[in-house]
Amino acid sequence: MWVEKYRPKRPSEMIGNEQVRFVLSAWLAAWKPGGKAALLMGPPGVGKTTLVALLAKERGMNLVELNASDARTKERLRVRMGEAVNATSLLGERSLIFLDEVDGLAGRSDYGAIDFIKDAVKESQNPIIMAANDPDSDEVRKLSSSTIPMRFRPPPPREVEMLLREIARRENLEVGEEELRAYATGAGGDVRNAVNSLQSRSTSRAETYKDTAISASKAFNMFFEAKDSAEAATALRKLSLQPFEKIRELQRSVLRSGLPPEKLAAAMRIISNVDLAMGRIVKSGDWRMLRYIDAQLANDLQPLVRGSKYSQDDLPFTTLLRIWNDSKRIKEVSEKYAARAHTSGASARSQDLPFVFFLCSGRRFREEFERALDLDEGYDKLLSKEAAR
Amino acid sequence: MNVVVGGWFTLPRLGRDAFALLMKQGVVYDKAMGFKFDPLTDIQSAVRTIRSATGEDVDVMLRCLICSKVACPGCPYLSVCDRTEVSSLCLCEEHSPEKSVFEAYGKAFVTSFS
Repeated sequence: MWVEKYRPKRPSEMIGNEQVRFVLSAWLAAWKPGGKAALLMGPPGVGKTTLVALLAKERGMNLVELNASDARTKERLRVRMGEAVNATSLLGERSLIFLDEVDGLAGRSDYGAIDFIKDAVKESQNPIIMAANDPDSDEVRKLSSSTIPMRFRPPPPREVEMLLREIARRENLEVGEEELRAYATGAGGDVRNAVNSLQSRSTSRAETYKDTAISASKAFNMFFEAKDSAEAATALRKLSLQPFEKIRELQRSVLRSGLPPEKLAAAMRIISNVDLAMGRIVKSGDWRMLRYIDAQLANDLQPLVRGSKYSQDDLPFTTLLRIWNDSKRIKEVSEKYAARAHTSGASARSQDLPFVFFLCSGRRFREEFERALDLDEGYDKLLSKEAAR
Repeated sequence: MNVVVGGWFTLPRLGRDAFALLMKQGVVYDKAMGFKFDPLTDIQSAVRTIRSATGEDVDVMLRCLICSKVACPGCPYLSVCDRTEVSSLCLCEEHSPEKSVFEAYGKAFVTSFS
């Protein structure tokens, strides 16, 4: 993976957030026990975690990394953080405590966790750095008195382009200016995404570089044909469908893929799990978790369906359009009929209209019915068709 | 009005509420120099505040890390780059196309921030 191969080795090899990188490094150099913690705020993929790891390495510190949303209670935090707060190694090596996703400390189970972190900041013999994606979250607000905030932002597209050009040069990959620009802007400031797109392009020459303008069928075909999970994830990312639609389309396509029963069952189980996870994300409003939906589909589903073809609905678009049009008109007729017959639209559709349509096979009744409901000529064809069914 | 991130700029008298809001949004103020957007400023909100207080459009510009010139004029990303959201330094038209720009960028970072 190029994201690993070209992962910066020093903070000076990163791109973007130049001043914040310097400020954090200076804060770490000057930190003394009893000092405040640093709070890095910014969207995913802008280098918060990478910078912390590089600073720890540069200063020969032992990095104690903890995802706050995995250890949300005071007790669990105490177990996982407790020793690191006071410990130094026998050789005097210091630790750097990194609490990622502190804005994930939400909900009832977190009682005490924020206070525990605040106390730990006061008592710690080792510096603590926290990271949060959402600078406006309650947790970030509650921690503000114990932390020095540092805002991370996506690098400008020109810096992303610079990095991509450098990687392309080292990989002997010829990429046009316009194409590089498309990668740089398409990633939306997420450097990992941009590098992954460039790598996918090198492995699949046919892939289009326009990140957003790719058609659904093309993206799904890319997903099914992808050689590895990175390529599959790129295909899903380029898809402009809503996550629910994405899952539904994959389900339909997998059902028609002709996979052997065991593989089909396994694939459907994964889709079902992803669908459940999606439901939970919607219910909890924890939209940050959406990034794992594509990852799960790319890592778990794609190896099972690799090589099969994307299959859209069997019906051609013109037929689908006719069906939608007819159903819309039937709904209109049923609403007009319901208003006239003092009944609901649903019972008009399910109980009365089948008989009315049957009666419409007679021309005189049909004309009277159209007149009574004030239906124009366009409905005559529809009523005749329905009567002939 | 053009505002370069990291550079001082002046504003007409805005009133206490707008001034307090700008301070809350992390805008730096110095009586002699004026106002400044720094890496901690919530630039997007500050631009909204200035726009509604002065009625003027605010065009945020970034400086080149290598030469400190204003980097935005002539940039191919000008229409798609949300300069209120990206980090505060960039590369100018002169340095960006250079073959050794990545190396120059790394060196400039070390020189500027050490």
